[in-house]
Amino acid sequence: MADEALFQFLHNEVIQYVNSAESGDTENGRCVSKLENMGFRVGQGLVERFTKDTARFKDELDVMKFICKDFWTCVFKKQIDNLRTNHQGIYVLQDNKFRLLNQLSAGKQYLDHAPKYLAFTCGLVRGGLSNLGVKSIVTAEVSVMPACKFQVMIQKM
Amino acid sequence: MYVIICMHCFCPQNYPLYIRSVPSQSELKFHYTVHTSLDVVEEKISTVGKAMAEQRELYLGLLYPTEDYKVYGYVTNSKVKFVIVVDSSNTSLRDNEIRSMFRKLHNSFTDVMCNPFYNPGDPIQSKAFDSMVSAMMVQSS
Amino acid sequence: MSRQSNRSTDTKKMNSELFTLTYGALVTQLCKDYENDEEVNKQLEKMGYNIGVRLIEDFLARSSVGRCQDFRETADVIAKVAFKMYLGITPSVTNWSPAGDEFSLILESNPLVDFVELPDNHSTLIYSNLLCGVLRGALEMVQMAVDVRFAQDTLRGDNVTEIRMKFIKRIEENLPAGDE
Repeated sequence: MADEALFQFLHNEVIQYVNSAESGDTENGRCVSKLENMGFRVGQGLVERFTKDTARFKDELDVMKFICKDFWTCVFKKQIDNLRTNHQGIYVLQDNKFRLLNQLSAGKQYLDHAPKYLAFTCGLVRGGLSNLGVKSIVTAEVSVMPACKFQVMIQKM
Repeated sequence: MYVIICMHCFCPQNYPLYIRSVPSQSELKFHYTVHTSLDVVEEKISTVGKAMAEQRELYLGLLYPTEDYKVYGYVTNSKVKFVIVVDSSNTSLRDNEIRSMFRKLHNSFTDVMCNPFYNPGDPIQSKAFDSMVSAMMVQSS
Repeated sequence: MSRQSNRSTDTKKMNSELFTLTYGALVTQLCKDYENDEEVNKQLEKMGYNIGVRLIEDFLARSSVGRCQDFRETADVIAKVAFKMYLGITPSVTNWSPAGDEFSLILESNPLVDFVELPDNHSTLIYSNLLCGVLRGALEMVQMAVDVRFAQDTLRGDNVTEIRMKFIKRIEENLPAGDE
């Protein structure tokens, strides 16, 4: 798809920028949270657009299904491969071939960089959910590239 | 002639994001009416879990008829509420027209949300939104 | 149980919204990080440059465009192939200088600024300046040094968006390109 390469270049460049702007930070914590916040705002805007013509959501699970199907398809052109929940406010979304990890080599030495490549997307999900009235904390982990799990912890208000 | 007498937009926590009323009317006059209708909106939102698919439309219909005015409501999936007050004597307005006015508002609000310089939850100061509302208020029906 | 949706299945369009909003998030982040618009403009150009020097590879591979004979051909390829491929728009090429070393790209619409309304305190922000950097970086990789700048911008009240490009010189192949 035409725009996708451009988006990936932009995404990489944003990571480079934030990383160098926060170079004093050895733990990458600030870098990751800055990227996450940018994703959050983008997620809010996207969800506002994507839900313009959909009926109102029934409940939290209905919202999560929307994120896994419609939202993921619009953004990453595939659905989440597996959604699991403990029914107590924790959801695990698994993407077996996560697009933004595709260009990172599969080698183990690159695993350290993975959090930076996932932070923006964690923010996307958190922002999307937040806009739909679901407050959460979203983290991601990679075990074998390019498969990736996003864990959503719902914050009860 | 004005089609809409006033239009309010509220954030999910129910404080106002945008208020506009026709020049001859004071905003205060509708304060009570609009806020009472917000309660009706909240009630409709809270029962959504039990509602059938066709009752989960974003357009909430007539909320609160008074002798002089009719109040209509709409809620986005992000729980932003739009409330429109029209004159009861204006009988030519059909439900579908009200619905399409809300759609226009919602579309324009979506663009506001996608403006990177807008902070969600802040009062709406968009010129595009303003002019869309202006045009809608005087639209001939 | 499936959610009824009449949304278009044109995923390409959705992607461009993701791109537009992500770019917006970058610009507003830079506005927070830097003191004034001028520095933001500079940073956007620099980031664009970094993207351009990588993008050209992708472009040459996918477009199978060969070496351009002259600057006029380059202009056409940029407008009709590159802009079309990456942003889905085809700017017109106009306002050639008599010497043929300078032209304008007129953008009827600019996907980067969909939804954007500039706040009053950013009146000197060149919102889409990344594009200038992309063009400069990409052309440098094919041995062309160019000067790229926004001459008009609808965001700032102009009727059209105009990118002005000036050919400076041909870069000798054996010299390493400037690294930024």
